[in-house]
Amino acid sequence: MSLLEVENLRVTFSTETGPVEAVRGVSFQLGRERLGIVGESGSGKTMTGRAVLRLIRPPGKIQTDRMIFDGQDLSKASERDMRALRGRRIAMVMQDPKYSLNPVMRVGDQLTEGLRQRDRLGAAEARKKALAALEAVQIRDPERVMDAYPHELSGGMGQRVMIAMMLIPEPDLLIADEPTSALDVTVQAEVLSILDGLVRERGMGLIFISHDLRLVARFCDRVLVMYKGRVVEELVARDLMAAQHPYTRGLLNCLPRIGGSRAPLPGLDRTGTWAND
Amino acid sequence: MTDYIEIQDLSVTFDAKGRKVKAVEGVSLCVDKHKSYGLVGESGSGKSTILRAICGLAPITGGTIKIGGEALPSPRGKSFSARVQMVFQDPYASLHPRHTIDRTLSEPLMIHGIGDTDSRVMKALDDVGLPKSFRFRYPHQLSGGQRQRVAIARALMLQPEILLLDEPTSALDASVQAEVLNLLTRLREERGLTFLMVSHDLAVIDHICDDILVMQHGRAVEELSREDLASARISTVYARSLFDASADRLLG
Repeated sequence: MSLLEVENLRVTFSTETGPVEAVRGVSFQLGRERLGIVGESGSGKTMTGRAVLRLIRPPGKIQTDRMIFDGQDLSKASERDMRALRGRRIAMVMQDPKYSLNPVMRVGDQLTEGLRQRDRLGAAEARKKALAALEAVQIRDPERVMDAYPHELSGGMGQRVMIAMMLIPEPDLLIADEPTSALDVTVQAEVLSILDGLVRERGMGLIFISHDLRLVARFCDRVLVMYKGRVVEELVARDLMAAQHPYTRGLLNCLPRIGGSRAPLPGLDRTGTWAND
Repeated sequence: MTDYIEIQDLSVTFDAKGRKVKAVEGVSLCVDKHKSYGLVGESGSGKSTILRAICGLAPITGGTIKIGGEALPSPRGKSFSARVQMVFQDPYASLHPRHTIDRTLSEPLMIHGIGDTDSRVMKALDDVGLPKSFRFRYPHQLSGGQRQRVAIARALMLQPEILLLDEPTSALDASVQAEVLNLLTRLREERGLTFLMVSHDLAVIDHICDDILVMQHGRAVEELSREDLASARISTVYARSLFDASADRLLG
């Protein structure tokens, strides 16, 4: 049974020069697995993730034939129902900790805010849960981090704080938007293994949005490759390196390799028919 | 050939709320003229701090930095900036949001009293592959890759000999990264530049640099040549773990 079913999703922004379609008819299904969405910036991968949570502000509009999460049609749900789902059942880790954490609130207060408001926990109990969540994302000195402001943390720490915050309510579906692109390889591996553990042990569904093809190939089960708001190719992740679509091949070829030649890297050829429809 | 950039036993210590934070501890490195040298390591390993120390943007508490055999003056002064320029990581933060590209590019010329601004700005845009029509645009009208091209053009306005590159492509998409890396390679060949580049992506470093220094916790861990890296001749545990974590970036 699939956890999330999206059919013909469109996100449109009306601008002065007419409507701009950021997502143009995306359909996919997600079970309790790791689904990767890759593409360049502007390909609509973040908008797809946000549209599932209906987090697109006017003038942006979401249209879809069906968007079913665990038996509930999200496209018809009231704003009140959406509020009950957001965070508790579907959570999203945003891209940049610098802009997504409240800069004038201590990390501890941000982590416990949901627990105290939503779950009506007492201060001591909420703090205990928050500390456990920070430990779960491998933060070495959780007591110090609880009392710190976001600007006192490095990018990697901030990213892990956001993941901890999203995981406290134990969601069924996590949408992670470039959760590791601010991190370096060694920390990246740690964060991925945390996410991996959650998918395995708790049967959480994960939508992993990234522009790093090699990372997605290694980490996800299935991959959607997006270009200009459309899915151009859907693949089993371990076959990503053997992708056939010219766009996917182009993205792979323009990456430098250790021990590769020093010749200029091939650019992305956008002249094919696939690029213009 | 003598060493062109020579860093001996460099230490940088920051004072954070009365606590001493040692960002760089006793790092030495040498770069020959026209060569390209890479610094890799996790965040907080002090690699960017070394670049900032060269520019006089970090408090040096020990050791020496020499360029072309001369110790650097403090403050660095005009002759230094005519010789050494830096390109920063984030093209969204490193360009003045309310200055046009024209103003960003002509400011160094004005400070150094160099005339002929018009043709120099046009040539600079051309050199980094930007159309002339971009001259009077603002940074917010440009994409990330275009902004990074402007940042590179700005760094080259004074025709320096050395470029310090602080993660110049890590904020960019794969296809745009390829374009910027090709641009840097071409400019280095054309102008005989010396690069000192920081990156956390071993594949990017390998593509650009001849020699690599692996850093951790502010210390130098291991120095590798490009051949060592390609054939995985790595002796320290940390450099090995970094290499293994980049296994998907290997050729093949």
